[in-house]
Amino acid sequence: MLALHRSAQTLSFGETQPRNTPAPAYIEVRDLVAAFGAKIVVKGVSFSVGRGEHLSLLGPSGCGKSTTLRCIAGLETPVSGEIVIDGNLVFSSAKRINVPTEKRKLSMVFQSYAIWPHMSVFENVAYGLRVQRVGESEIKQRVTEMLRMVGIEDYINRPATDLSGGQQQRVALARSYASRPKAILLDEPLSNLDARLRVRMRDEIKEFQHKFDLSTIYVTHDQEEAMAISDRIIVMRDGHIEQCGKPLDIYDTPCTRFVADFIGAANILVGTDAGEAPSGAPVLKVGDALVECAPGSELFPADAGSMHLAALRTVYPEMCRDAPPRPNQWAATVTRRVLLGDIVNYTLAWPGGDLRVHAFPNALFEEGERILLHIPPYRTVPVRA
Amino acid sequence: MSVLSEQEAQRAAFARASAFDLRPEVWIPLVLLAGTLGFPFFLLVTSAFNVGDPEAFPAKVYGVDNFIALSGHLDWIRNTLVIAGGGTALGLVIGVVLAWIIHRTTMPGRKLFELLIAIPYPLGPLVGALAWSQLGAPRDGLINRMFGAITGIETHLINIYTPMGIIFVEAIFEAPVAVLIIGAAMQRMDPSLEECSSIFGSGKLRTAWKVTLPLMLPAVASAALFMFTSMIGSFAIPTMLGTSSRFYVATNAMYVLLQGYPPNYPLAAALGLVLICMTALAVWLVQRVLRGKSYAVISGKNYRPRQVDMGWITWVLFAIASLYVLLSLILPMGTLLLASFQSSNAISFNFPAWTLGNYKYVMFDFPTTQQAIINSLLLGVGTGVIGVLLATFIALATHRSRSDGRRLLEQMTMLPQAFPRLIFAIGFLWMILALPLKLYGSLFAVLLAYVIVFLPLAYRGMSGVVVQIDIALEEAARISGAGAFRILRTVTLPLLRPGLLATWALLFMVSVREISASLFLSGPGTQVLGPAIFSFWDSGGMPRVSALAVVQALIILIALTLVRSMANRGAKV
Repeated sequence: MLALHRSAQTLSFGETQPRNTPAPAYIEVRDLVAAFGAKIVVKGVSFSVGRGEHLSLLGPSGCGKSTTLRCIAGLETPVSGEIVIDGNLVFSSAKRINVPTEKRKLSMVFQSYAIWPHMSVFENVAYGLRVQRVGESEIKQRVTEMLRMVGIEDYINRPATDLSGGQQQRVALARSYASRPKAILLDEPLSNLDARLRVRMRDEIKEFQHKFDLSTIYVTHDQEEAMAISDRIIVMRDGHIEQCGKPLDIYDTPCTRFVADFIGAANILVGTDAGEAPSGAPVLKVGDALVECAPGSELFPADAGSMHLAALRTVYPEMCRDAPPRPNQWAATVTRRVLLGDIVNYTLAWPGGDLRVHAFPNALFEEGERILLHIPPYRTVPVRA
Repeated sequence: MSVLSEQEAQRAAFARASAFDLRPEVWIPLVLLAGTLGFPFFLLVTSAFNVGDPEAFPAKVYGVDNFIALSGHLDWIRNTLVIAGGGTALGLVIGVVLAWIIHRTTMPGRKLFELLIAIPYPLGPLVGALAWSQLGAPRDGLINRMFGAITGIETHLINIYTPMGIIFVEAIFEAPVAVLIIGAAMQRMDPSLEECSSIFGSGKLRTAWKVTLPLMLPAVASAALFMFTSMIGSFAIPTMLGTSSRFYVATNAMYVLLQGYPPNYPLAAALGLVLICMTALAVWLVQRVLRGKSYAVISGKNYRPRQVDMGWITWVLFAIASLYVLLSLILPMGTLLLASFQSSNAISFNFPAWTLGNYKYVMFDFPTTQQAIINSLLLGVGTGVIGVLLATFIALATHRSRSDGRRLLEQMTMLPQAFPRLIFAIGFLWMILALPLKLYGSLFAVLLAYVIVFLPLAYRGMSGVVVQIDIALEEAARISGAGAFRILRTVTLPLLRPGLLATWALLFMVSVREISASLFLSGPGTQVLGPAIFSFWDSGGMPRVSALAVVQALIILIALTLVRSMANRGAKV
């Protein structure tokens, strides 16, 4: 099921990744460097977004993702680099071009929603249209239409401060889409909502994306959100791009320890090179366990202690009490079990150390029980430090 | 992959960070402020060391003789410290107790008391001193007369013409600021911090001592600093209550030195410099104490403070709050009203003999006071408008601009707070005399001085409002395509509106009641209320001066009421 491309690890981030049909670069960021005072927060980042593509910038707080987004919006002035939107150079340090925010014809949804408290819902949504000098009757029609789409047309004449968090978020979305921008930038739009509402709004944003087919850049620290919403994810860390690719590719073949840790649940294995399996895949010796890696993969160069790293996805592995011997099957002891409802978390004492495993709650094992654990080789992916 | 190397990026960022990026929105106000503050200060300093021609500005011959001469009058400085120190201590006690009663207990009528307790401050020390001199004079003060009439005892009950009396009046008229500052901190403290302490088994007292007090410390310290610097520079109360017993503090000693013949400018300047050093020392000390103690728990959102039901003690608290309102508002205003209806200095309760003639005299017959009323109204409106505009501009520059030097601009704006207003006014007077602009004797000079001395007040108000406006609200407008002017008109100003109104009203009120800054700057043709009341008092005629003081109080109260009703109407915004 998995086609591992070695080239995935030497991706050229300056080029657009093909979707179903290769999309022309619509927003392009080249060698972007941004700093606050002498502290550099974005260290030479290049990527592009195709027309109608939904891209996520994913990473922990302080990784530079929001700053990158704000540079595209023109709310921060980069130190160097170039930004192109729809064929127009809007920022270039070399050519001393810096088109102000209000001329970039973008739209943005803020983490704090930024709903103007002194205006009604209608006035909030109509603001961008008034700036564009749209006629009054058309404004009325477009605003009503947008509010109907986000499902709060009943609140049209309410003061914006009367709304709940989720409703304010809807106003912010309506406001962004109403002005028909070239692209929409979303800066952690769901992080102030409670968990249940977050999932609902996430789906609604996805629906909006399909309806309008506008390019979007979505900044988030939540990998679930990024995977659910985007065509492509850029994982950022400490001011640079760690990995870039389609959601599933990033999930299946993280190329660094950081990405493996950040996306989904992975155990990072540290072991020595133990030759090749019959399939030609590398084998890693982790403690007393021999672990066969994904077919076609190669180990990354070892560290000073001749140790190699691999990420082991331990989601829904095969766990049983008895089975014929096969590769990547080990005996292990359940040391802890945590029931979470849809999921059971086990901690296993495994020959290579402790493993944290997510399993289905259908066949439960007791704490202290000895079991057999099998993880298919393609679940073990060599990664860089 | 074209990733910039770490060193390259570092170099690029460093190049940008080290390039000094000073923008006009910061350097223009910075230069203006530096000039209008620096030049008067320069003249004060040179004059303090002037041992040549005392009327040379700047001086030509320098020495320390003035400071040696000053060492013969150490009592002035000692008295100043006694009054400011004692007044601050008493004011803090009143402030903490009243703030606690209003915000942390279930005493009935808290809302009304919160309103009443705030009034004495805008009424001001001049009203306080004037009223209390008629209430607490040893022989014919109203309180002593009633005490004598009731008990038949010949000796007086209280004597306001003592250092204790001065401290008392200073404290009750500055305490509202302490109530405001400390009360605000109480409202912004998360009650769960205290609840947590009681969960761990601490009693009420231990919680108060170990949790509440340390969290309140920054607010208490800044309230203390505010009162102390204000009392060091206070003029009306020590002069009106201390002169008869030859009790001099630095400010009225300076007044005597400057009004004497020949005026002793250098000695007054030296004394002023010592005072500035004292306030600077106080500011430095407080900042030292507060370093690293501005806890994040006391910022941002308002909580509903935990309120304690004190049982029967509630009525004791009610009595304390009532006593404060009685002493600082009802008795003083009542006395002034009473005195303003009299036809002679002695207050009589013979109702048919009462007259409105004093009001007719000060408002219509006597051109000087009539002019003072009009000028004060003009100054109040003008200082309010210019001060608010300037403070808003500076607050936007310090909080929204990316320019270097923002911190410096903020510090420069707050600097006049460390100058006692009387002393700044002297330096300012010398400056306009030294400049070839013919500003002397114009109302504009007084206006300019007011704007500068009240700028810290205005800035504090406006920056508090600007900080609360999420910058994303303006960014959202930019993203929507709005230009700078449109954002200002449609987003920033509407959001600032309640703050603009409140700050304008505050400036209006403090300008109308002001005396220290205008004492030397106003003169024939530019009479304003404060100095007019003072010189009236100086030349006797209690009924007329009381009538003028009542007029001043009414103007202030009307402004207060107007703003409250406007604020209530705009409260939904």
